[in-house]
Amino acid sequence: MSDAWVIPLLPVAGFVLLLLFSPWLPRKGDWLAIGLMAASFVLACLVAADLADAIGEAGVGSFAGISESREWFNVEGYIEIRMGTYVDQITVVMLFVVSFIALLVMIYSTGYMRGDRRYGWFYSIISLFTASMLTLVVADNLLLLYFAWELVGLCSMLLIGHYNDKQSAAEAAKKAFITTRVGDVGLLIGIIILFTQTGTFNIGEILRAAEEGEIAREWLTAAAVCVFAGAVGKSAQFPLHVWLPDAMEGPTPVSALIHAATMVVAGVYLVARMLPLFEVVRGMPELITALGLTTAVLSALMGLAQRDIKRVVAYSTLNSLGLMFVALGSGAVGAAMLYLFAHAFFKALLFLACGSVIHATEEQEVDKLGGLWSKMPITAPMFIVGALAMAGLIPLSGFWAKDEILVGIRHGHLNDIVAITVFATLPITSLYMVRLVMLTFFGEPKDQHVHEHAHESEASMSWPLMLLGALAAVAGFVVFEGVGEALGFHSGWLGFVYNLAEGPEEFHVNWGISILSVVLVSAGLVAGLWIWAGKAEPARRAAAFSPFLYRMFLNRFYIDEVYQAAVDYFVLAAGRVVAWFDRSIVNDTGVNGAGETAWYAGWLGKFAQTGKLPNYALAIVVGVIVMAIVAFGYRT
Amino acid sequence: MHSGYWMIATIAIPLFTAAILVCVPDSRRDVVRWISAGVGAALFAISMYIFFAYEVDKGEGYQFFIRWDWLENVGFLKDHGISLAFGVDGIAAPMVLLTGVVAFGGTLISWKIEHHNKDFFVLFWVLVSGVYGTFQSLDLFFFFFWYEVAVLPMYLLIAVWGSSSVFPTFARTKEYSAMKLTIMLVAASILIFLGIFAAFHEAGLGTFDLQRLYEPGTFDEDFQKLVFPLFVIGCGVLAGLWPFHTWSPDGHVAAPTAVSMLHAGVLMKLGAFGIIRLGIQLLPEGAAFWMPGLMVLATTNVVYGAFAATAQRDFKYMIGYSSVSHMGYVLMGLATMNVIGINGAVLQMFSHGIMTALFFAMVGAIYDQAHTRDMALFKGLANKMPLFTFFFGVAGLASLGLPGLSGFVAEFNVFVGTFRTYPWAGALGIFAAAMTAVYILRMMSMSFFGPFNERWADLKDMTRLEMATGVLLLSFLLFMGLWPAPFIDRISESVIALPGVT
Repeated sequence: MSDAWVIPLLPVAGFVLLLLFSPWLPRKGDWLAIGLMAASFVLACLVAADLADAIGEAGVGSFAGISESREWFNVEGYIEIRMGTYVDQITVVMLFVVSFIALLVMIYSTGYMRGDRRYGWFYSIISLFTASMLTLVVADNLLLLYFAWELVGLCSMLLIGHYNDKQSAAEAAKKAFITTRVGDVGLLIGIIILFTQTGTFNIGEILRAAEEGEIAREWLTAAAVCVFAGAVGKSAQFPLHVWLPDAMEGPTPVSALIHAATMVVAGVYLVARMLPLFEVVRGMPELITALGLTTAVLSALMGLAQRDIKRVVAYSTLNSLGLMFVALGSGAVGAAMLYLFAHAFFKALLFLACGSVIHATEEQEVDKLGGLWSKMPITAPMFIVGALAMAGLIPLSGFWAKDEILVGIRHGHLNDIVAITVFATLPITSLYMVRLVMLTFFGEPKDQHVHEHAHESEASMSWPLMLLGALAAVAGFVVFEGVGEALGFHSGWLGFVYNLAEGPEEFHVNWGISILSVVLVSAGLVAGLWIWAGKAEPARRAAAFSPFLYRMFLNRFYIDEVYQAAVDYFVLAAGRVVAWFDRSIVNDTGVNGAGETAWYAGWLGKFAQTGKLPNYALAIVVGVIVMAIVAFGYRT
Repeated sequence: MHSGYWMIATIAIPLFTAAILVCVPDSRRDVVRWISAGVGAALFAISMYIFFAYEVDKGEGYQFFIRWDWLENVGFLKDHGISLAFGVDGIAAPMVLLTGVVAFGGTLISWKIEHHNKDFFVLFWVLVSGVYGTFQSLDLFFFFFWYEVAVLPMYLLIAVWGSSSVFPTFARTKEYSAMKLTIMLVAASILIFLGIFAAFHEAGLGTFDLQRLYEPGTFDEDFQKLVFPLFVIGCGVLAGLWPFHTWSPDGHVAAPTAVSMLHAGVLMKLGAFGIIRLGIQLLPEGAAFWMPGLMVLATTNVVYGAFAATAQRDFKYMIGYSSVSHMGYVLMGLATMNVIGINGAVLQMFSHGIMTALFFAMVGAIYDQAHTRDMALFKGLANKMPLFTFFFGVAGLASLGLPGLSGFVAEFNVFVGTFRTYPWAGALGIFAAAMTAVYILRMMSMSFFGPFNERWADLKDMTRLEMATGVLLLSFLLFMGLWPAPFIDRISESVIALPGVT
């Protein structure tokens, strides 16, 4: 257990070695990165097993996690910063998800990225990303968490901009970094407020202080809102969701790893970790729910109209993230983490399947695809499994996870409107997933050239797909106590991962909710099959029915445009004003003005030097008289 | 051997080098280069020694302390209580290291100077010796003396080896920039000079010995309040204090690469160092009274510099304004008057020094080939010059406070310190750090990414010497970013001992 710090260290070694030596290594050193990642994965599993034993000894509910830290720097009596690891149930879930998906993505990339100009660099940065993400989830203090938080953001930016000779990729990378950085400003302020109030960065101690009311109420509120802002940025929640769809400019394995399975759920992880603090702040759970709900609804609508297959999947990611935040807002940590767990599999599956399609066709517009079912006998069914799991069809993993969230909302302290809205998004989610499947794999090929050249991807890409497909289908069963226990989750998933403030829960099925959700999802699926079957005539009619709505969905409610205008006309314009002010007013008027004044004084002074003797004589006489008067006055 | 000789060596070696170089024939450029590089390496080694041999937990006071007795026997000096006294505390130790690193990097990057390189290096070494002298002086008179020695060679270095720039809306000649820089800094020196003599007179001890003047009760409160602004503004001008900062962007743009490195990297730190030595240590009650005012100016620095940087098209102007912003963090940390904040300020002095030096070294590397620094003219350099992009990018990331590099450690301490006393200023500071991301990434996506502009097909990636400079500076960015304890242990010990710091 005390070896948890080694888990991120292995990929760090991969990063350093590849950064320095990859040009000279065989295969640019991808085997080295994969080997170290595999070792890290095994170690993560061992740590999970250790934890299971420790929980077995202590008993569920009284187990407090295991932490270990060492000093980073220390100013006796003023500030002490320790860096360390904290392992509990949430940590091991994250460790497993991150290291497993990273390993699969690295293997998949040997095929997908082959021949890339910066192959070694790609593996090096993927290793750094994984290391940072693993650090993020094992961190026992907020400063180390922030450290890793920024590094995953950096790697995300570098990988989005991997194809750096594309202007759109460079712009997307910039947008992703700066948008999340807006949230990070909040996170850093929040962390510093918490430190100022409690004198520590240790998460456990901060949570204890918050629960015991040791932090002044107004500061606690400010800190909670600020920390949450960080989560909103990283997890692409409304209003900072705009970067995620653009992030699809990156290579597809990157989208699967960073922008689906791991980094974007860092916000969910952070909120889950800090939930006891958020829950003591009045209005905070409601805020979390409201933003999650807004994101889920907006993204479901926007996903309906997008034409790029990766972007549709990206909107579905926003949709899922929104759902996880709703769950957190209602205090259902176990449900949120279950969704995160299942989501990692089916969303990584969807992205990697997208990647397989893109690799095979070099095309990612649905307008040019179609009829690929027969050409891609592995990718197509795997994609469909992923899509149905995302839609939440029983008995795939998405169903169980979503069902737990619905139960959580129902049992939480939230308004019925939340539950109704979430139910309303279910058929929309299944609609756009079916649309994607129909347009990509069925119907007439829209571009014969593309269709002819399509082929199934090689083994290094299809094996990870099949593995993920299987997991996406069955991962949800961990919710049953028997299955969970067999896998090492004591008392099943919900008894294992629980809200620290409220204690372990028990799994129970709410038949009403389950049946309703199955009906809604199936209705969406059937409607989708009808709308996009054949030549998709009903879809065209629906788009023509309200061009305004269609344009709004397609253009993502123009939110990106509004932000761009705000940046152009406020931020950059302010920069130009300041720069002008500095040059014209401060420098040319102030500084040069002072110089010119001195010159002018000299110019005036020169008129005293007339060169005529009478003038000087007069001056002497006046001078003597003045001095005499002064001297006389001084004496008396 | 007395350990203080190492300090004397850092001051004497550059001076002797300058004298020896004067005797080298003009045409023997390689001799000049090799001597300079050798001396740079030696100074770097001595600086490393001084930094690491500085003993933590040895108790208060100055280490390596040395006072040259024979000077006291010279009538003039004795009569006026002037002595050549040197010593290093935990604040000066990192500054000495910084000087060694940046000066060594500067000699390597100046290898390619062809135009009168002998004269260039003569002035360069005089400047370096002045910097070492200021950081290590414990005598008020010689503090000022070395300070001026460091500032004045700048005029010739910029006016002779610099470059003028013409923009669509305005032009800046190197002569203008050099003159403005020198006049503003000398005008500021007059304030310091006044302050020094006022302090000497008021103390009435007949000595310039700083350690005796530091004794509590030497100056009464009214005097401190009166004189403190002289020191803060006088030194502040060199530290880029708003609104007296305009020499800095223009000066850095006009200066040749190594001079920009040394000036932004080390000389601006002399200003901040002066605020500590002359302001906080000499006049603690004055500091307590005036620091809220400095906080306002420092916050302006931070935000104003960041905004102005977003509008620049010239690499060096952007870095120049970013220096104004980052030096604002130093002043902000000093203005907190608490241990964490001032620790952060000193860390930031070191971090900014290394980072800006790296920035300017890289800009010089491209300017020497392309003869322009207009970001908008470049496009997609990343694939043509991957190493160059890597180092430039790392400097940018250090600048925007990425954890793992030195900027984060420094800024983080400044923010924590500032939050203690002025939460609004701390929040604005963190906001400005996000603005830093805006202008750094704007520059990166403008010049380094996107489709390659074929106009630059002849550009070559970094030379070996540029690589060496880059690796040298990068290793210190990482050192402080990953393992700050050696710095913080040294700095905090002396900061805690500062009077009036809570």
